[in-house]
Amino acid sequence: MNKQEIDARFVSIRREAERRAEHRKREAIPTIYIVMSTCGLASGAAETKHAFEEALSHKGIQARIVPVGCLGHCYAEPLVVIDHPASGFPPICYHQVSAGRARVLVGSYLEEGDPVLEYVLGAMERSDLIPSVMDFPRFSLEQRLVMEHCGHIDPDDIYQYIALGGYSALARVLASEPAEIIHLIETSGLRGRGGAGFPTGRKWSLARASETGGNIAICNADEGDPGAYVDRTILESNPHQLLEGLAICAYAVGATQAIVYVRAEYPLAVQTVKRAIRSAKELSLLGPGILGTPFDLEVSVFEGSGAFVCGEETALIRSIEGRRGMPQHRPPYPVEKGLWGRPTVVNNVKTLSSLPSIVQKGGSWFRAIGTASSPGTAVFSVVGNVRHPGLVEIAMGTSLRTLIFDVCGGIPNKKSFKAVQIGGPSGGCLPESFLDTPIDFDSLRQAGAMMGSGGMVVMDEDSCMVDVARYFLDFTQKESCGKCTFCRIGTRHLLNILDRITKGDGRKEDVELLATLSEDIKNGSLCGLGKTAPNPVLTSLRFFLDEYEAHIKEKRCPALKCRSLTAYYIDLEKCARGCEVCVGCCPVEAIFTTRGRKKGIDQKLCVKCGECLVACPREYDAVVKVSPPGLAPIIERPPDEEKSVGGQG
Amino acid sequence: MVQDIAAMLPAFERHRGNLIPILQAIQERHSYLSGAAMKMVAKHLGIGPGEVYGVATFYNQFRFQPPGRHRIKVCLGTACHVAGGEIILENFERKLGIKDGETTADREYSVERVVCVGCCALAPVALLDDDVLGRMLPSKVEGLFVQFEIERQRQEREKVARESGEQARD
Amino acid sequence: MVTIVVDTKEIQADDGKSVLQTCLEHGIFIPNLCFMKSREHPHASCRLCFVEIYGIDQPVTSCTERVREGLVVLTATARARRLQQAAFKLLMSAHHCRPKACPVRGGCQLIRIARHLKVGLNSQPLERLERAIDEEVDLGLFTYYPFRCVLCGRCVHVCRQRTGHNLLTFAGRGLKTVVALFGGGDLAAAPCRHCGACATVCPTGALVLKGEQGRAASADSSLRAPQIPPR
Repeated sequence: MNKQEIDARFVSIRREAERRAEHRKREAIPTIYIVMSTCGLASGAAETKHAFEEALSHKGIQARIVPVGCLGHCYAEPLVVIDHPASGFPPICYHQVSAGRARVLVGSYLEEGDPVLEYVLGAMERSDLIPSVMDFPRFSLEQRLVMEHCGHIDPDDIYQYIALGGYSALARVLASEPAEIIHLIETSGLRGRGGAGFPTGRKWSLARASETGGNIAICNADEGDPGAYVDRTILESNPHQLLEGLAICAYAVGATQAIVYVRAEYPLAVQTVKRAIRSAKELSLLGPGILGTPFDLEVSVFEGSGAFVCGEETALIRSIEGRRGMPQHRPPYPVEKGLWGRPTVVNNVKTLSSLPSIVQKGGSWFRAIGTASSPGTAVFSVVGNVRHPGLVEIAMGTSLRTLIFDVCGGIPNKKSFKAVQIGGPSGGCLPESFLDTPIDFDSLRQAGAMMGSGGMVVMDEDSCMVDVARYFLDFTQKESCGKCTFCRIGTRHLLNILDRITKGDGRKEDVELLATLSEDIKNGSLCGLGKTAPNPVLTSLRFFLDEYEAHIKEKRCPALKCRSLTAYYIDLEKCARGCEVCVGCCPVEAIFTTRGRKKGIDQKLCVKCGECLVACPREYDAVVKVSPPGLAPIIERPPDEEKSVGGQG
Repeated sequence: MVQDIAAMLPAFERHRGNLIPILQAIQERHSYLSGAAMKMVAKHLGIGPGEVYGVATFYNQFRFQPPGRHRIKVCLGTACHVAGGEIILENFERKLGIKDGETTADREYSVERVVCVGCCALAPVALLDDDVLGRMLPSKVEGLFVQFEIERQRQEREKVARESGEQARD
Repeated sequence: MVTIVVDTKEIQADDGKSVLQTCLEHGIFIPNLCFMKSREHPHASCRLCFVEIYGIDQPVTSCTERVREGLVVLTATARARRLQQAAFKLLMSAHHCRPKACPVRGGCQLIRIARHLKVGLNSQPLERLERAIDEEVDLGLFTYYPFRCVLCGRCVHVCRQRTGHNLLTFAGRGLKTVVALFGGGDLAAAPCRHCGACATVCPTGALVLKGEQGRAASADSSLRAPQIPPR
């Protein structure tokens, strides 16, 4: 099969895509793009869409509604982009478009031509009329490769992706020798985006070199890190870029079977990918004899059943084989002996989605982005205490400070930055002194964190680092497969020790014990998950030792977070006589009226949920939170009140 | 249930790799895996029932008891934890008098903790059946149950009205 | 045949055999619980058989390392010992040992390992772990004691090997993992051959045959845990 024949076949598909795009443009009716990925839906995008439909039909306005994937700006969901060429305005991005705002937009903008400036986030193109989002740091500092088209196209319409150049990399690859492609990826310096950063090209050539035959390519989308949703967003927003990458990978390593392994907890992603595979097959971009070449690729979706450890490649393979997802000792590596004993290449979603642009623009182009040892971009889901949480794609080597303070807008509510947790349960917490660390595989590992799968949680002064370490160990311990001694039993001991520290029962030898045990688990565990499980403990011990000591020696939680070490009380000086706001919000009826008709908290009943602190009107500001709990003054419940509560109960 | 599963199984090739997809399909339809169901799967695939049981108990997804009519899931992903997800979970537990992973005696509600539903920007998050409830507060939990109670009473009234209507026609 | 050096002793060994097996066959004891000759792929779960190998910067499990010409193995370096002792302490914290009531004939494997590592049969300074699992499970022909079980998987392996089925399997996950028999102890319908091999290979007395059959089966010495030269 020569290049011309493949090109001829592909060009006809490409023409069709362009024809459709042209047709849409010529129609010249307004287009309403609504972000309909999981986070958009959670914020009410379905109601927004419904409101648009109703308002349009009610007013008899012609407009096209296009559901699109995620733009990554979770703080502004539900996001809507309206392209209304007749108005003279560029396409405008609107934030927090509730059903009510949707109706207003139809009436004011589509009917009367007033773009309702107070709902506008920015224009999608530069113009003199409305400031462009491209000039906001949240947009301009990003560099999008993997997420380039996310949020701009309908994930269910393969032609929209093709019209933007999609699948042309695959057509090009099919006309080349697999060895050339592997060489290209090797020269690009692409490293696996799943966490460890193994060079992708080397992995492929190892699989290619195997003589067993029947190679298999797997896309690992078992994103289990609690706090990362990068892979899900890519699958929901632009599945074709991933599938194109998967096909390129399969061709290069000589695989005829490919599997996309997606968590079952991502139902929308599963459905989107399944539909995408079907439509790619219909155009002969996947399936038997791709674009008329002898290259067959059968692609299927496997739904993972909820086990964090299945993100580890040997465990992932075991679970596809219908077994308990327990990691196996390597070697043999999956590239030699993987699924059903055949050479298997497992690549992360972001790795595969990076491939089409590398093929199109070349290895040296890719190498020029990012740093020398970590070329390309990194995608993070930045959440926690930042002003503009969401998905961010930046060039490797960008500093944490730029990412958190410039791109994501810094810490809200006038609080100060305390730490950033990178890499989820396998990563670590870095303090302020590390904010200038460049984001790349090696610098982060050196600092004690790791790239991981893209979870980044920013924490302000109200976060307790001992509690965060406890949280991650609780997770790892629940998710440990139970196979090897260190991970199964060791993480439980770590958790128990952290538990007692946060409850005020810490012992003076605990810090030493945590450090020794963590070191042993790191060196002794069977798989990567066990080896990295103590990282949250090790980094917090290293950077926040004073917090551990305050918990253990003074029974005090400096961040006022650990509930056993804090108490709430009501400042009688400030409490307003007769005000009942806190009483109504308390879920356990712990608030009583004192003789002076002010309020007191029954410490025995209080569950420390903090509702009263939030509810107390700002002008009184009478509820105080203290640590250690002994600092709260004792206010006795009047005896008659006690009786009346007892009578009710 | 047994008949239904017997009817489903032939659609799956007798291949070990189909074990997890079959279990998923059964749970999708029947909301949990019974001992009898696992035995049938084992027979279909020609493996020991113990093996099916061993695999099923490894994964979080599979349940061995029918869940409540309403399933409440409280997200305890990192962002939700930092935002106080645990307090929300406790409120549900206290309100229903059950612990996470349990179902109320009347099989109306079950409460479970889940790890990250991917709506971190809305933390803390809870799911009531398929509805995502963002930015939860303990007082919202209260409100939710008040709504349920109103809904339940309304249904009951309608039922009584329907029945009395039927009686009147008779 | 290749030549390797273990703790200054030169050994002629089969190329490709595991370091652990080679050492055990030459009378050099390395603590182990999950190793079995007949396992094609090492289980590598007990994490007791750490050794140091010249040229590898970290201690490694000897069951997963293959013998090759010129290999230099050190079985008692400080780093290897530290990991062995740490793994042992962890196992002991979950094992709930009562030496006087121990049903294992000829001594529990854990006692031998403790002696070899020169540590007590306790988990100090770690606390004993309590778990929400049953104290004792009736499996018909056997009794299973989850708190004694170290999850080495020898019983699961030998059962599959002998019956061709996974009658015994691991169930649950993490610290709640147990060895289970589907449907409890109802073996009538199961293709169990009542061979008792599973109980015989158990190194810690977690799986015990009931009554007469127990005694008869455990006489089958070919299945015993690997013998260790007395100190």
